[in-house]
Amino acid sequence: MTASRGTVVLLGCLTGLVFLLLYGPLLLPIISSLFAVKQGAVQWDQPTLEAYGVLAQNEGILEAVRNTVTVGVSAVVLSLAIGIGLALYVNSGGGPARQLLQFLVFLPFLLPPIIIGLSLLIFFREIDFPRSLVTVVIGHTVFVLALVYRILLVRLQALSHSLVEASYDLGASRWQTFRLVLLPNLTGAMAGAAVLAFALSFDETMITILVTGTQNTLPIRLWAMMRLGFTPDINALVTLILAFTTGLCLIAARYLTPRELLIEES
Amino acid sequence: MTEITAPAVRSGRWRDLAVATGAYVLPVVFVLLPLAAFFVYSFFSVQGVELVRQPTLLNYRRFFADEIYLPVFLRTCRLCLEVAGLTILLGYPVAYLLAALKGRKRYMLLLLLLVPLLMSYIIKIYAIRSILGGTGFLNRFLMWLGVIDEPSMLFVYNLNAVLLTLTVLLLPFAILPIFLSLERIPRRLLDASSDLGGSGWQTFRLVILPLSLPGVIAAATFVFVLALGDFLTPQMVGGQSGFTFGRIIFSQFGAAFNWPFGAALSAILAAAVMVAIVIGARFGNRIAQRGGSP
Repeated sequence: MTASRGTVVLLGCLTGLVFLLLYGPLLLPIISSLFAVKQGAVQWDQPTLEAYGVLAQNEGILEAVRNTVTVGVSAVVLSLAIGIGLALYVNSGGGPARQLLQFLVFLPFLLPPIIIGLSLLIFFREIDFPRSLVTVVIGHTVFVLALVYRILLVRLQALSHSLVEASYDLGASRWQTFRLVLLPNLTGAMAGAAVLAFALSFDETMITILVTGTQNTLPIRLWAMMRLGFTPDINALVTLILAFTTGLCLIAARYLTPRELLIEES
Repeated sequence: MTEITAPAVRSGRWRDLAVATGAYVLPVVFVLLPLAAFFVYSFFSVQGVELVRQPTLLNYRRFFADEIYLPVFLRTCRLCLEVAGLTILLGYPVAYLLAALKGRKRYMLLLLLLVPLLMSYIIKIYAIRSILGGTGFLNRFLMWLGVIDEPSMLFVYNLNAVLLTLTVLLLPFAILPIFLSLERIPRRLLDASSDLGGSGWQTFRLVILPLSLPGVIAAATFVFVLALGDFLTPQMVGGQSGFTFGRIIFSQFGAAFNWPFGAALSAILAAAVMVAIVIGARFGNRIAQRGGSP
């Protein structure tokens, strides 16, 4: 793709507008978290970190953070393990049965989260499985698995088949081929998938709100807080979460730079 | 392949069977069974607080007969189509710029698009809400500019607010598929077009745009489906009047506490989503085929 200089300038302006839409709204809570707010007006001459102090003493929020991380890590580990198995299996042959399996894995990503949340909610009630963080982990895993599986499958398919054949020809077993040939080629995709899956889980609200028990994750906690109105400590929490997700994204980008994104250009 | 002895084949088959079973168990238990349970529930009913497990079509009949549900459903579909249209209009230029850029610049821009995608959904809604409200930033800004004298109610917690919020939220989902389809256009086609004397605009209109349409359709499908199932956004910025289908479903599991009816409404939502995906796939295929053999 190419574009003339004038086109690039025009496109640049339109892109600028889009980024204003995407990022502009986020500035407000960040700014309000750093200054005193009186009657809805930001007091520019009174910078303060008070809101953050209030936050650090809020045991409910700290617990929500712990829950969110626990759920995220569990969902990432589970979805990576299951995802790699499924990707290897589907990639090892064809046929309608594998198509169906793939469709099942994709379904939670294709269907609106509300439907996945509701079906799990009803399912857990039917099998008398009490709602807790475990059900949240299951919900998140089902949801992020589609993405993890897809990333791994695409990477597997991109690998030359002769690589695997060469490995077998040289006398390697299935396990050796997996560990010594496939896995090293998958690490980039796995790292990317893991970070992406964690970010998705960290942010997941619609399924969580339906399948969670009494323990809240951060988005649910925020949702409850926001219904009460705008307060400085919400803004402080929002700012911290934004900083965290941005950091996550940058870390992911650092690991994925050459192989995941720029490789397309050659 | 060299000769394989009979026992090896047999043990291979057993292993294949075991592997296959293992592969199917989890998706069947945690995806198929819950979906089946939810679908069965949509034929149950509720009496007081008791669940009645007698199959009935009452819930579906209620959806079509009642004067609330069908209109809200159709209005929500229209809203989501509008969101899809807006995101594509805003997103296409960004996708084009992305595809035109090279190296580090492209990478940075792509990254800047991915960051909001990973940011908490609920936080984005919250941030946009603080802009749209009656005493929100937008109103105060417009009053400060002198465009309006008193707070405009145009975007205050109604369907317009939902439309705007969803558009901002789902923009990255529209940009990425379009970018991918633009990226896939072989350079030689563009070279051929300019070699044959096509101007930049002609090349865009006759070569690039048609070839990127599958991406546009994928984007539209994506955004439509995501918008249709959303209940958080209307709940947070929709106010009293911004009632959408997703919100009605959600209320069946909260305040109204009618799970079977909620399940039936969700089944209708799922059907709508599938119709949208099938239409999108059909459209995309047809366009792709036409592009392949002009």
